[in-house]
Amino acid sequence: MMLSGTERRRQLITAGVGTVLTLVMGAVLFVGFRIATQMRASITALQTASSLQNYPDDITQQLTSLRDRLEARAYSGQALEDLQGTVRRFDRQLKELNATGNVRSAELTRALQLWHEYGPVIEPVVSFNAQPYVDSDTSGSSFSREGRAHYAEVKRAQLFATDNAKVLQAQLLTLATSLQHDASDAAARLRALLSIGVLAALVLAAAAAWFQFTRSRHERAAREAQEQTRDILKTVREGFFLLDADYRIGSVWSEALTRMFGRDDFAGLSFEELLKDLVPAATLATATKYIKLLWGERAHENLMKSINPLGQLEISMDNGHGGKETRYLQFDFHRVMGPAGIKHVLCSVGDITSSVLLARELQESQDNANAQVDMMLAMMHIDPLQLVSFLDGAETGLKLVNTILKEPARTDAEFRKKLSGLFRELHSIKGEASALSLSSIAARVHALEDIVTELKKKAELSGNDFLPMVLKLDELLAHLRSVREMAGRLTALKESAAGAATTAFTAPAPSAAAAPPPAPAAAQQSGTRAPQYARRAEDLTPTLHALAERLAQDHGKRFRLKLAGLGDVPAPYVATVKDCLIQMLRNAAVHGIEAPEVRRALTKQDVGVVSVAFQRSAEGFDLVFEDDGAGIAPDSLKAAAVRQQLVTEEEAAAMDTRTAMALIFRPGFSTQDEVSMDAGRGVGMDVVARSVYALGGKIGVSTHPGKYTRFKISLPAGQASSTAVA
Amino acid sequence: MLHEQELKTFVEGTTNFFEVAAQQPASIGSPYLLEGTPQVHEYTGVINISGKREGVVFFTAPKAMLTVLLMKMQENDFSHETMRDLVGEVANTISGNARRDFGREFVISVPSVLSGEKPEIPHKPGLRSFIIPINWRSHSAKLVVSLT
Repeated sequence: MMLSGTERRRQLITAGVGTVLTLVMGAVLFVGFRIATQMRASITALQTASSLQNYPDDITQQLTSLRDRLEARAYSGQALEDLQGTVRRFDRQLKELNATGNVRSAELTRALQLWHEYGPVIEPVVSFNAQPYVDSDTSGSSFSREGRAHYAEVKRAQLFATDNAKVLQAQLLTLATSLQHDASDAAARLRALLSIGVLAALVLAAAAAWFQFTRSRHERAAREAQEQTRDILKTVREGFFLLDADYRIGSVWSEALTRMFGRDDFAGLSFEELLKDLVPAATLATATKYIKLLWGERAHENLMKSINPLGQLEISMDNGHGGKETRYLQFDFHRVMGPAGIKHVLCSVGDITSSVLLARELQESQDNANAQVDMMLAMMHIDPLQLVSFLDGAETGLKLVNTILKEPARTDAEFRKKLSGLFRELHSIKGEASALSLSSIAARVHALEDIVTELKKKAELSGNDFLPMVLKLDELLAHLRSVREMAGRLTALKESAAGAATTAFTAPAPSAAAAPPPAPAAAQQSGTRAPQYARRAEDLTPTLHALAERLAQDHGKRFRLKLAGLGDVPAPYVATVKDCLIQMLRNAAVHGIEAPEVRRALTKQDVGVVSVAFQRSAEGFDLVFEDDGAGIAPDSLKAAAVRQQLVTEEEAAAMDTRTAMALIFRPGFSTQDEVSMDAGRGVGMDVVARSVYALGGKIGVSTHPGKYTRFKISLPAGQASSTAVA
Repeated sequence: MLHEQELKTFVEGTTNFFEVAAQQPASIGSPYLLEGTPQVHEYTGVINISGKREGVVFFTAPKAMLTVLLMKMQENDFSHETMRDLVGEVANTISGNARRDFGREFVISVPSVLSGEKPEIPHKPGLRSFIIPINWRSHSAKLVVSLT
């Protein structure tokens, strides 16, 4: 928890007051100790000084007693001994008093000085140790020679003591009084000091109590805050945790993380370990790099947010039933700044699975709605019969696809055998859907083509590989059904608008058209479709014009489409002619006609020309398709074939122009490296050629690089009449 | 629309059974679509599904295949009841796999077993079924997924 400025100030003040009061208490105790010591010395000195006051009188009296005894020739030993003791004690105590150093008084100095004057007088007395008397039988006791001198000294000392005892006593009394004053002063100081000490102790106790009170208040607030934080972390639906500089998770996290990740050992766990088993290695590496970048001081946070690779992370989790489920998590990162820079990175994790799924469903609904609108708009421009004809053909084609799938297969060869047939059928449906601008159908068929293309690349095929295809096929069939329903509604709408009398032809009812009979087996085997409803030659013109317009727009080309004789196409040939023209028109738009700026540079007209002519010939019918585009350069065909590993470089070098031109009819050959809706699969001209050959026709190509490409398809007359009769 | 993973779950449930019970994996043939009521073999284990998807998933196998399967499982009893139990067991494995992968989104019934020439397979009219041939040794059974 971060300390606020007020809290920090409060703590500093408390600490300051505590320190000052402790120092004051220390000083009081120290000074008090000093004063007490001094008082003790003063009292001892006072006691000594008080006891010393009697000594001068004692000495005088003892000298008088000694003198009297000497005069009476009485025993003086005891008196002398008492005097010696008194003098020694007085001398010792007086010197001790001085030696303590605590007494600095003029009276003591004077007393010492006076006592010092006692010395020469009293010293001979107290140092006497001879016999003062001489005993004789005649005269009794008399002074000995030393006794006489001793007596004289005693008398002199007695006289000196009598004269000075009072003075000395007064000096000692003054000294005692002075010492008493000192002791009283010290006692007063000590009292005052103790009062200060008590006061300081009270202040200290109050400060401690206040500090304790505020501390407990803050602790309670902190506890409450922690509890609230715990409650928040327990309740919040997002996962929160902090990452340290070692990219490890801190000790506090929200409980939602446990639900999200199915574990609770987050403390100290590295971010990499957290995601290791949940995401692919590449995602993990990107995420780890991103986290490292977050710690860079110079990286701008908003910029970092915009490149967050974990904005929508797909993870695979246990579903609680022993299986796995996919969940989507959203990671968000915020730097937590401290005084020294980035302190932590706060990571919030949200489980956005339901939002992602909802968004996906919404997107799908939106796409479907858009597709339906597009489809509706496209359908409004298509003749209803033409549309129904297409839907019938497409359904028949898809049923054929399903029939191909249904063929039992166990080996790779048996599975692989299906692919070419599947591709031809799908490509044909896509071409026609594209020509009718039914983009949602074309896109779905294109997705199926993608699956077939991927399967072709696989080394070993099994039934598992076909599961996605069968799912897409189901989806496409369902889509065709909804398009058919829409077509029915649209036709009904048109009819009601135009009136039944003006309608030249009417689309069959959706229910009747929903289940067309299966295609004849012969047609399935030949690789061409035989729709239930014969195509009409009139359908070709608007279809091709619509396709030309769409192709020009999609590929940034400009060209004019000239059509001639298509009304004469016999009904049995209409489907094949249509498929061939659609494919050749796509090739012309993608590969043939140059972009306007290229044409200008080549001094050609900006707008290219694609002309189609269908006419009778001696053997039957000729379909001539020509564009004034870039033509076909045999060398580019060879290079593309080598690039696609269809031929070796040596084989390509050995090819003559005719053989090189034949490459365009080879399955899988395309000069375009990238696959688009209109080119790149390498199946277009292969399909055209197969369709023509299936009708007993032939196809020829002539070209001049930079000038034109011309395809001539010759169809037999017999096939048309026999099929027509049949 | 059925998702690829959902279809795979049912397929894996079926092939896993052969791998575990007979120690010989089954492979799947070329899957396809079928409109109308699917044809079944002599023994059929059915699970009904409701919730996110509605419909039935069933495994149907010929008697010959089940006989070989029982032999491979070291069983000596080839009675009608044992055959029924066996397809029930396959359906149970499919059901367990589905429960594991789909969790609460799918409500899956206890498997039921149908046998005989033309048993009454519950089928919603107009619903296309996914037919996945299950190839094991020289025999072929079918897994039929018929869900909305």
